Amino acid sequence: MNISIVPALKVLRPAAMLVIVILVGLVLGYWANATFVPGNSPEQPIAFSHKIHAGDNEVPCLYCHTQARRSPSAGVPAVSKCVGCHLEVATEKPQIRLLMSYWENREPIPWIKVHDLPDFVHFTHKRHVLANIECQTCHGPVETMDRITVSSRAVNGSAQVGHPWKMGLCLSCHRENEVVNGIDCLTCHK
Amino acid sequence: MSLFSRFMDGWRKYRKPGYYDEFDYHWTMTIDLDKCTGCEACVTACQAENNIPVVGEDEMAKGREMQWIRIERYWEGEYPNAKLSFIPMMCQHCDAAPCETVCPVGATYHNQDGLNAQIYNRCIGTRACAVYCPYEVRYFNYYDHEWDSPLEQQLNPDVTVRGKGVMEKCTFCIQRIRQAKDVAKDDDRRRVQDGEMQPACVQTCPTKALVFGDRKDHESQVYKSMNDPRNYRVLDELNTDSSVFYLKKVDA
Repeated sequence: MNISIVPALKVLRPAAMLVIVILVGLVLGYWANATFVPGNSPEQPIAFSHKIHAGDNEVPCLYCHTQARRSPSAGVPAVSKCVGCHLEVATEKPQIRLLMSYWENREPIPWIKVHDLPDFVHFTHKRHVLANIECQTCHGPVETMDRITVSSRAVNGSAQVGHPWKMGLCLSCHRENEVVNGIDCLTCHK
Repeated sequence: MSLFSRFMDGWRKYRKPGYYDEFDYHWTMTIDLDKCTGCEACVTACQAENNIPVVGEDEMAKGREMQWIRIERYWEGEYPNAKLSFIPMMCQHCDAAPCETVCPVGATYHNQDGLNAQIYNRCIGTRACAVYCPYEVRYFNYYDHEWDSPLEQQLNPDVTVRGKGVMEKCTFCIQRIRQAKDVAKDDDRRRVQDGEMQPACVQTCPTKALVFGDRKDHESQVYKSMNDPRNYRVLDELNTDSSVFYLKKVDA
């Protein structure tokens, strides 16, 4: 009996090609994602640690993010704010020297935005800070983070690290606290 | 009570005249056609305030223009006895709006302040609302419009830049209303006072033909103006119960 493997190959070859193409695609996709997408915890130009500042040394959030109680945007502190302390504090550390090089060149630090809302959402920090909402309610346990990671408020009220915000999180809090007109679309959408 | 009957009850209540009386505000505008000179300052102000793109000549010829407020011209008679009259036309924020009944995804609805809301991120671009609108004041983004550099620097950060496939229309400058409410809240005031907030078109009108305010406040300028004997509403016979009142032009 003459058994040929040619018919089997005819079926297997395209299947094998397909598998290889998919595998290569997956590897390329993973590489592109890791290289080009900043992700939930991008590396910042200066390895600023919220754990050291807000956690260990208990600096209040509003000491640096002064705009949060006055304007819609919480604001990133100016370099002068950092230097205000770091002329005296921990001046020998390499990251502080990096900071001082920005100060001496009179350049802003190009921080990478982590918590970002879509263009069609209006959110005001002022109203929420004045309503005595803890920053951690939405931003997660920032005082334990060496590098800021996206975090969102879960429906049960605890912070979920690594998940971006979704509309349901805003709505669940607005419903719980019975905010006046809090679930009207135009309250947040613009 | 079944879900359906609950829905129908809510719907009937929502469509009943006077439903909005139980809320704090009922934003209203009046336009005095005797004072309107047709200068189109309001059109320009709106364009700047609300990030409205300039579509260009070719798109305009296809009827795809974008202007949330437009000046309609009406000629009467023949030269030399021709007469010209103007009527500014924008979203009438109808309390019984035809556009709201037709949207399949609820992207347009009436909110408690008597505003006809358009939620851009919910809009899927069926354009049904534009067909239903008797005033023809809804505009559709056929393309992603771009601003030539450096014009993108003057975009209003409080207003979304709408993308392709989204319907848009006059909002009575919701960003300014929101701002005024924010200020009112800071001052421990319960309501926004008359004249505290004006949309861009009202603010810029050189002859003060446009008046904006809260109908609930009976001392307000707009309440007095809307009860002027000359008042009428465009296409009132359609029972749209609109929030924009026109004061008739009186021939001398």
